Amino acid sequence: MYATPKLSVIVPFYNEEDSIGPMHDAIVAAVEALNIPFEMVFVDDGSRDATASRGEALAQQDPRVRFVKFRRNYGQTAAMAAGIEYATGEILVTMDGDLQNDPKDIEHFLSKMAEGYDIVVGWRHKRQDKLVSRKIPSKIANWLIGRVTGVHITDNGCSLKAFRASLIKRIPLYSEMHRFIPAMASIAGPRIAEIKVRHHARQFGQSKYGLSRTYKVLLDLLVIKTVTSFTSRPLLWFSLLCLPLTFIGTVALIAGLITAMPGNGGMSLPLTGTGIIFLSSALIMMASGTLGELIYRFGDVRPEDFARLTMKSVISRNIPQ
Amino acid sequence: MTFANTHSLVSVIVPVGERQTPIADLYAEYKSGLRLLGPPYELIFVLDGLQPTAERALLSLVEQGEPVTIVSLSRYFGEATALMIGFDHAAGDVIVTLPAYLQVEGCEIGKLVAALDAADIAVGYRHPRADSWFQTLRHRVFHGLLHFVTRLNFRDLGCNVRALKRKVLEEVHLYGDQQRFLPLLAERQGFRVSQIPVRQSKADRRDEMYRPRSYTRGLLDIFNVFFLIRFTKKPLRFFGMIGVATFALGLLELIYLIFVRIYFHHPLADRPALLLGSLMIVLGVQMFALGLLGELIIFTHAGGSKDYKVDRVIQYASPVPALTESGNAPDKPLEDNAPTSLHPYPAS
Repeated sequence: MYATPKLSVIVPFYNEEDSIGPMHDAIVAAVEALNIPFEMVFVDDGSRDATASRGEALAQQDPRVRFVKFRRNYGQTAAMAAGIEYATGEILVTMDGDLQNDPKDIEHFLSKMAEGYDIVVGWRHKRQDKLVSRKIPSKIANWLIGRVTGVHITDNGCSLKAFRASLIKRIPLYSEMHRFIPAMASIAGPRIAEIKVRHHARQFGQSKYGLSRTYKVLLDLLVIKTVTSFTSRPLLWFSLLCLPLTFIGTVALIAGLITAMPGNGGMSLPLTGTGIIFLSSALIMMASGTLGELIYRFGDVRPEDFARLTMKSVISRNIPQ
Repeated sequence: MTFANTHSLVSVIVPVGERQTPIADLYAEYKSGLRLLGPPYELIFVLDGLQPTAERALLSLVEQGEPVTIVSLSRYFGEATALMIGFDHAAGDVIVTLPAYLQVEGCEIGKLVAALDAADIAVGYRHPRADSWFQTLRHRVFHGLLHFVTRLNFRDLGCNVRALKRKVLEEVHLYGDQQRFLPLLAERQGFRVSQIPVRQSKADRRDEMYRPRSYTRGLLDIFNVFFLIRFTKKPLRFFGMIGVATFALGLLELIYLIFVRIYFHHPLADRPALLLGSLMIVLGVQMFALGLLGELIIFTHAGGSKDYKVDRVIQYASPVPALTESGNAPDKPLEDNAPTSLHPYPAS
């Protein structure tokens, strides 16, 4: 008899009627061999084809399947978040529902997790996708994500990842953050490892991505940088915006005042005005930073929660009673 | 068995605002329609602000033993708020909202309730419409704009005759004047919406002059809805878009000014255009900062508000009913019934 599942395999599906059955079989075949209690959380992201009915049928046949059906399409991040929410295992493995990831790799993820890592990220080192539209943009994006967030991962786009449940369940996931889960989780300072995984070419259905995501990715990256840096250096961004404004303002104001000296032909309104505009904007920016601090103080997210999540050890002297 | 028949009570909510037909006429018309429904009904009149005349008329209805509840608000709060207050007092599984003035004929109410068999919310649209050309134009412009902004097709959001299941109002929170957008917001929450043609009441066919204020309000409403459904969870996408655009324009202008200063020796200090450029740059930066603040708000509250609505969770071996139809995912889903604890799965 199984105890509570140790491992939850989370798979979001969106219009993958041909893949959901084979996916289930592949997971069962790969994980049953490992001989640990596990469950599968399949999330249907409001598919318009037979994905939902086939998923329901799977859940009826196999009690290890928990099938979560969305009311409509909410996107991959929401599907991942729901999967994480409904999973009961200690280790959560996420993967794509399009059969491009191979469940046989789960074994390696588990042994890596056993070494004490909190997050293990897959790396599709022989990626089976188009070069120009998929691989090159993703290379640039990965480099950028590494630069900005400080979490250097070769392949952020690979869905095959493993998480310690206690950690990932506490990380807010929303909007389109699924590409940045490790970066988002970096708020808590987890130990992250990377392993190479197999990657298959698409068998069924259509790919759902394109190039148009660049703008969104850039903005999301900035958001992550902001919210994560706020946990340690609250006013960082607003002060950074403040500095150039103050500098330009001061220079323009001084130049304006010089023109106001006797013999310089009267004060220049545009120059003085520019100075005043920039300086007052710097002031507003400072006020915004303070407002941000206020928001953080009254929100549900507290930096110390994240610190506790991954705390390494507590060493204290025993105080005799 | 239809949905309405299996449920015992239909609650009718009538927010009574500025525009109203004398209560006695209104009640007679609605009653004639509601009597045809089958299941029993109750009417909840919410008086939005102090309205002695309407209140007196309603009280006399109560004295006559009619199934009427009167809720009086101490000041004007807006139709949507009145609707939500009325909902607090509604006991039925089927909610019908009706305007306090005759828009459609009473006998059409049954059609909407019947449509709930295949939908979560049934919205009436007046068809055929007899309106002046001016009203038609106004109607077209509003809905055209709305369609452009939301990409959803609604034929008549001005028609407040709607039937809905209880769960819709439990999840969609309205305030102010948003009740007009209820179908749209419900659709965004993943509810099934159907539109039903209803016959327009003769009393509705009048040419009403709107004050300019109501046009401004209409435009603001559209903007509000636009922001609500597209950017609530991603403020930086919205503010960032505006911010980057103004910043870029300002920067281009400044670059041009500096270029002219260097190569054509046109002194910078004499140019008012300098002011415009710097204003735009500053505005762009501030917009961006506002977006970041919005993101901070979202982030610090992301735990409390979920992005998604779960239709149901299906798991065969759980001791509780496998089909849980819940609007929001429970905080600790099925935690006490681990998948295999009661029905051991043979380990093969």
